[in-house]
Amino acid sequence: MSTLLSAANEEDALEQLHAARCTDGLPVVIPTTARVARMVLAGGLDGDLAIGEMGPLGGVATVEKIAVAAVMAGCLPDYFPVVLAACRAICQPAFDLAEMQSTTHCIAPLIIVNGPARLACGLASGYGVMGPGHRANASIGRALRLAMINIGGARPGESDMALHGHPGKFTFCIAEDEAASPLPPLHTSLGYGAAQSVVTVVGVEGPHSVFFSGDADDPQCAERLLNTLAAVIANPGSNNSHLGGTAAVVVVLNPEHAQILAAAGLQRADLQRELAARAVTSRSALAALNPHLLLGHGDPLPAVRNPANLHILTAGGAGLYSMVMPSWGAGPHGNIAVHAEVVLGQFCELPWASA
Amino acid sequence: MRDGIALAKLGVPALALVTENFWPQGDFIAQAAGMPEVPRLRLPHPVAGIGRAAMSVLAEQICAEVIARLTHP
Repeated sequence: MSTLLSAANEEDALEQLHAARCTDGLPVVIPTTARVARMVLAGGLDGDLAIGEMGPLGGVATVEKIAVAAVMAGCLPDYFPVVLAACRAICQPAFDLAEMQSTTHCIAPLIIVNGPARLACGLASGYGVMGPGHRANASIGRALRLAMINIGGARPGESDMALHGHPGKFTFCIAEDEAASPLPPLHTSLGYGAAQSVVTVVGVEGPHSVFFSGDADDPQCAERLLNTLAAVIANPGSNNSHLGGTAAVVVVLNPEHAQILAAAGLQRADLQRELAARAVTSRSALAALNPHLLLGHGDPLPAVRNPANLHILTAGGAGLYSMVMPSWGAGPHGNIAVHAEVVLGQFCELPWASA
Repeated sequence: MRDGIALAKLGVPALALVTENFWPQGDFIAQAAGMPEVPRLRLPHPVAGIGRAAMSVLAEQICAEVIARLTHP
């Protein structure tokens, strides 16, 4: 069971939570017993069930403690299965959560949602998908962060040593625009069926904008777009370029850019292969920048050694810009993506219980 | 910090070298890992990138203490 605090009213409770460093610095919804109980109910699991352990503190992430984070973040109960799945994903050892939360790098988990859960929660996948104004995106990503703070113990300058962090450390959750995408949904490339709901979580930097104008008269249009994306992926100042290319990179294509590549007959596997092959930097160029931080082998050095670690999806409004999100790469597992199924349909609304 | 704790848990003499700026994080990790008293030595910050000469001076300064604490814990 979680520790129960008492306060005279919600304003006092909020100040108490701020003082105990249990918030992200913004106001939170007070996690009263009733609110948390209703959130737990929405997950369809026992509140005491342990989902995993969150480092660096090593706190046990029970369903109830995750529900506390979801309430604080402003989640509707309908969102809770997605929050639970995201927590289950980041508790997998391959995610290197304790190291990620402790590093001086700015890395933050990006949640990508695929499948029917996008619609069930009303997750945004179009214009401004990474920005403000979308309740489900904002509160689901924030719930994960609050769980990482309060269960995982990540507090800036004390246990979370990120030199700067980035705004995605407040919240970072998007859905793929499966309807606008010419590619099969991202989760189907991970072995799931299209009808399943899945979260893919990747520790990434903030989004780096990729500027490209299509030209229907140019037969080399897709080629130029691939080169433009690769140039941003292979940013020579990034960890990905220096640390052996083990880490994942996320590429979020806007629907126009995705159509340009699809019109050239490129499927996801083709895009992964082409981008990985092009996103390289000569050893001498990198050695001139950081001679003591070069961990890769070969020449040129790839930013992404394994094409499968390039996660390519469609989201955002249609236009000139796509997004590339580089990553960290220094965890024991090399900063790869993890995923977990969202279990929907476990919640049965009882009118007498919510009255 | 975790390397030092992992070695100590194996019974191998260990001394975590922790720079000034990371001292609070070291305390946190030691507590979280269940070894609050794991031996550690405070270094100035930064150490990385200070150059070979300064690194040698620092190594000279701490060498005797590192050996002493590893051999006579």
